[in-house]
Amino acid sequence: MLRQSWQIFLKDVRMELRGKEALNASLAFALVVLILFSFAIDPTSEQIREISGGLLWILFAFSGVLLVNRSFLREQSNDCLDVLLVNRVPASALMLGKTFANLLFILMIEAVCLPVFSVLYNINLFQLPLWLIGICLLASWAIAILGTVFAAMTVNLRLRELMLPVILYPMIIPALAAAMYLTNIVSVGKVPEGDDLIWVRLLVGFDVIFTTLALGLIDTILVD
Amino acid sequence: MFDKILLAVGLTSGLYLVRNLYTMLLVLPDEAAQGMIYRIMFFHIPSWWTCFLSFLVAGIASAVAIRSKSNRADSLAVAATEVGLAFTFVGLATGMIWAKIIWGIWWTWDARLTWAFITALTYAGYLMMRNMIPDPSERLRVTGVLNVFAFASVVICYKAIDWWRTQHPGAVMSFRTGGGNIDPAMEGMTYHNFIAFLLLCVVMVTLRLRQEETLREIEGLRRLAYSR
Amino acid sequence: MDQRNFTYMFYGFAAAWLILAIYVVSLVSRGRKLQDQLETLKRTLSQEKL
Repeated sequence: MLRQSWQIFLKDVRMELRGKEALNASLAFALVVLILFSFAIDPTSEQIREISGGLLWILFAFSGVLLVNRSFLREQSNDCLDVLLVNRVPASALMLGKTFANLLFILMIEAVCLPVFSVLYNINLFQLPLWLIGICLLASWAIAILGTVFAAMTVNLRLRELMLPVILYPMIIPALAAAMYLTNIVSVGKVPEGDDLIWVRLLVGFDVIFTTLALGLIDTILVD
Repeated sequence: MFDKILLAVGLTSGLYLVRNLYTMLLVLPDEAAQGMIYRIMFFHIPSWWTCFLSFLVAGIASAVAIRSKSNRADSLAVAATEVGLAFTFVGLATGMIWAKIIWGIWWTWDARLTWAFITALTYAGYLMMRNMIPDPSERLRVTGVLNVFAFASVVICYKAIDWWRTQHPGAVMSFRTGGGNIDPAMEGMTYHNFIAFLLLCVVMVTLRLRQEETLREIEGLRRLAYSR
Repeated sequence: MDQRNFTYMFYGFAAAWLILAIYVVSLVSRGRKLQDQLETLKRTLSQEKL
């Protein structure tokens, strides 16, 4: 099963890197929003330090949805999804491969946006690089796994671009809230400890619970 | 016959609510710190319990529905979700009115309130999704899974007062604290109103369930009409 | 204060009752509409058969 996931992953990444449609679009979107933030708040003030985590994760959630929206849409032409499933690719392998691909795309967006944000708003986000990477991995996984499952649910809807955010955002709020809080602490160079660790636990628990749920339920959505 | 029983249960719950109104207004004394406003709790707490219970029923029904492809369980899930959402709005409205007096504000973003809001949004999203999928079997699968996912927010909302320090009051009922935090008469009153709400909830779910079956019948007849 | 306390308690009770009453009314009216729809559909179908 892992081998099949790996192949799905490679296929998705290759397809996306060939055209780069979704990646370019959501990167451009992310950068535009980054600039818009400077109008919403005074970019030179100290205030930005307190809300940088919030701004960044709103941004990543938005551009993440643009990315995951594509992942099942890609299979719609020529009924690729049915062909894959008929050829006994397990739905869970399919979803796992796509989730990893989406995770990679979201991380790519983050890899561009974090330095740009640091430079434009004069904050060094990378004072604790390992913590920041850890937070990004955990929270992006949360966006990717739930995003992929919900993208599978909404792919046949006429209003899928609208419905995906409507059902996805309320569900990922716990993960986003944790990521926002932790990014805020880490960006001022403070190691999360004591009471802050409840947010780390929340983030890890969220990932574990929803990954299990997703793996258990994806067959119902895609197969029968 | 069944209609009459339903009507009787509905009327019983209505009368029960009126009787409770009498007790809580004329028999029970004002609360020492809050004055008379505390009586809102007799509606606020039971409505949330009712809403949590209906979402629990909806979650279980959805799990059964996606497991055994049962249309009836699917109908029950929608019915319970929609009625639960109505009670969510009762809980939100009464809570806000209470907060306006006690805290001086209508709303605050603490964990409990935030998750109550998220829960309402999630289940509203579920009901929206249902209207968008025309194919019944696909609707059953997709929204069934969504409902199971959505129950996570109910759990978080229920446990929020234990996990975070919230502005929302912590647990007072004796089954959560072991007793001593609330006057037994007031606690009893809460249970009385809860039973009344529960009866009302059962009636509403049954009504809604029947509508869902009528809807299914209509869909079936429509398909029959098109196929000819 | 006491007066306001009382007014808001009244608002709270009214809100609870009102929301439930509105929901029940909408439930009943929707049920009636669905029943009508079903009847019409059945009638048209049986007429077509003849």
